[in-house]
Amino acid sequence: MDPIGGMKIWRVNLSRQSLDIEDVPETWQYLGGRSLLARVLLDEVPPTCEPLGPLNKLVFAPGLLVGHMLSSCDRISVGAKSPLTGGIKESNAGGSTGLHMTNMGMRALILEGQPTQPEWWVVHLSLQGARFDPADDLAGLGVYETARVLLERYGKKVAIALIGPGGEMRLASAGIQNLDKDRVPARINARGGMGAVLGSKGVKAIIFDDASGKKPPITHPDAFKQAQKAYNQALMGHPQIAIYRDYGTAGNARMCDGFGGLPTRNFSSGHFEQVEQISGEYMREILLARGGESEPTHACMLGCTIRCSNIFGGEDGKAIVSPLEYETIGLMGSNLEIASLDTIARMNWQVNDLGLDSIEVGAALGVAAEAGLFAFGDGERALELLDEIRRGTPLGRLLGSGAGMTGKVLGVTRVPVVKNQAMSAYEPRAIKGTGVTYATSPQGADHTAGLTIRAKVDHLDPIGQASLSRTVQINVAGYDSLGACTFAGFGFAAAPESIRDLLNARYDWQVGTDILQVLGREALRLEREFNRQAGFTAADDRLPEFMIHEPLPPHDAVFDVPDEDLDEVFNWL
Amino acid sequence: MVVEVHLHTTLQRVEMGRDRRRLLMELPPGSTLGDVLSQLEIKLEPEHLLLVINGRSAEPEQPLSDGDIIHLIPAISGGS
Ligand code: SF4
Repeated sequence: MDPIGGMKIWRVNLSRQSLDIEDVPETWQYLGGRSLLARVLLDEVPPTCEPLGPLNKLVFAPGLLVGHMLSSCDRISVGAKSPLTGGIKESNAGGSTGLHMTNMGMRALILEGQPTQPEWWVVHLSLQGARFDPADDLAGLGVYETARVLLERYGKKVAIALIGPGGEMRLASAGIQNLDKDRVPARINARGGMGAVLGSKGVKAIIFDDASGKKPPITHPDAFKQAQKAYNQALMGHPQIAIYRDYGTAGNARMCDGFGGLPTRNFSSGHFEQVEQISGEYMREILLARGGESEPTHACMLGCTIRCSNIFGGEDGKAIVSPLEYETIGLMGSNLEIASLDTIARMNWQVNDLGLDSIEVGAALGVAAEAGLFAFGDGERALELLDEIRRGTPLGRLLGSGAGMTGKVLGVTRVPVVKNQAMSAYEPRAIKGTGVTYATSPQGADHTAGLTIRAKVDHLDPIGQASLSRTVQINVAGYDSLGACTFAGFGFAAAPESIRDLLNARYDWQVGTDILQVLGREALRLEREFNRQAGFTAADDRLPEFMIHEPLPPHDAVFDVPDEDLDEVFNWL
Repeated sequence: MVVEVHLHTTLQRVEMGRDRRRLLMELPPGSTLGDVLSQLEIKLEPEHLLLVINGRSAEPEQPLSDGDIIHLIPAISGGS
């Protein structure tokens, strides 16, 4: 029996410019997405290696359910040893790359080696094999222009994963951008410097051409259809879905502020006086009023029925950026005291075009403002600083290297990072379960590793936060292994058997209802092991010191979850 | 007593003119959060709502005090 329906590992070597298509080793077969790439990295990458050197590998892995247009389930995980954290990294994105990969029969794509000459390449992958096209003419081009040229060159039907000038400069905040369903290159594997790793391999872009490919096989189509129906019904019936459709993630701004957990002025307050102007409610109003290309409701991938995304248009109705998400609004808005969605959207476009993580750069700018490099609230100066990154000046490169590095060089100690990765827009002193996630996740500070804000608990109370974070971290590591968007989790949580049924129908497996947690635990186990071998200890599972003793307005909260609780998060290992 | 109520996403309303998401409510002493919900005719079941008083999650039975800041957030429990 072939438990994965003929799918293969594609291995591209950049030293030799070769492609090998291999069978999936037995121990990798039941894994997908985040758990699969953790297995690959632990098996093949020395944890102590130089992240930008030839020994590191970059892995693209679609989740286990990718390829069937199951609503909101076509996500990919991209991972490597991170140049930002020095540990393992998985960075997750939507868009069309995952679907193209599975249409081509790819269980995972592994990029390894490094060219000896400083040259840029486009790696073109199709069922005919791999081609390595010289791409020096694209060097220095922004993400949007690069995507336009590539779509002209390779046709409109391909999927593309590409980097911008940030990845070319190997900045630790550089991400990898994927096309959304409308071919806008803004679905980003943003976190942890994956774009720098792709840049270190001399690759400006990867083209996935799925011509004459086909959907991966389903062993029991009727059972699959039935499970799909159960999942869709649970998803569509869910009250939370309408909120995300109408307000997107930006709806979180007032929620976080209500809990006193909206990062403001470099994480010095949890309340932003002008939260109304950056709220999801206000954004929806202005987008509806502006019309034109503006769309408060937009899907990032084919088949998504939630459509949490948006197109943010300016006063003239012309698109400024798509999507404008809560994390960017928090880190580049309240965190910098910038209360104009238009300014935040322009900054977001710049950061996207540079191919950088808006969370990391927003946090770095907050630290820079604290150091006096610009005044909080000065959006024009913030945009000028982004231009420094584009020009590759030392100051620009510093900011592009992330909040941790910026704090070190500028002598600032209020630096919101764990494992050198910037926190996202949930203040851990006010949302303590998420603080536990920031502290302990093998990924570094990252809300997508286990956000607890929707749990009905007293977020200011330290008791019980570690076990809450544990549950959520396991579940999301499971969803990241399936390729399911967190918002798909609303449907799966209401119909948990559908995960088991979908997997068993697709692969002819006999897994039980706990498969989500089985996958999640395995992903976390492998990630922790990689980090352990890379030299991480319990001392790395801590929040920055200022959060332990500096009270955060408006509740004067400090992070007081005991260290012993933090050390118990992975107590099953 | 007077409390400040912030209505989130689908709970905001049009008939209150410009200030549709934030309102001040005058309540008799001894009122609870549940009284606010019923006065505002909020149809969502409490389990589909995050109820927040002064930054802390609260239950409908909770008594209110003058100056309380209340957030009513349509959302569900469950960590992710
Ligand atoms: S819910 Fe949003 S992020 Fe998730 S797949 Fe749909 S549009 Fe993309």
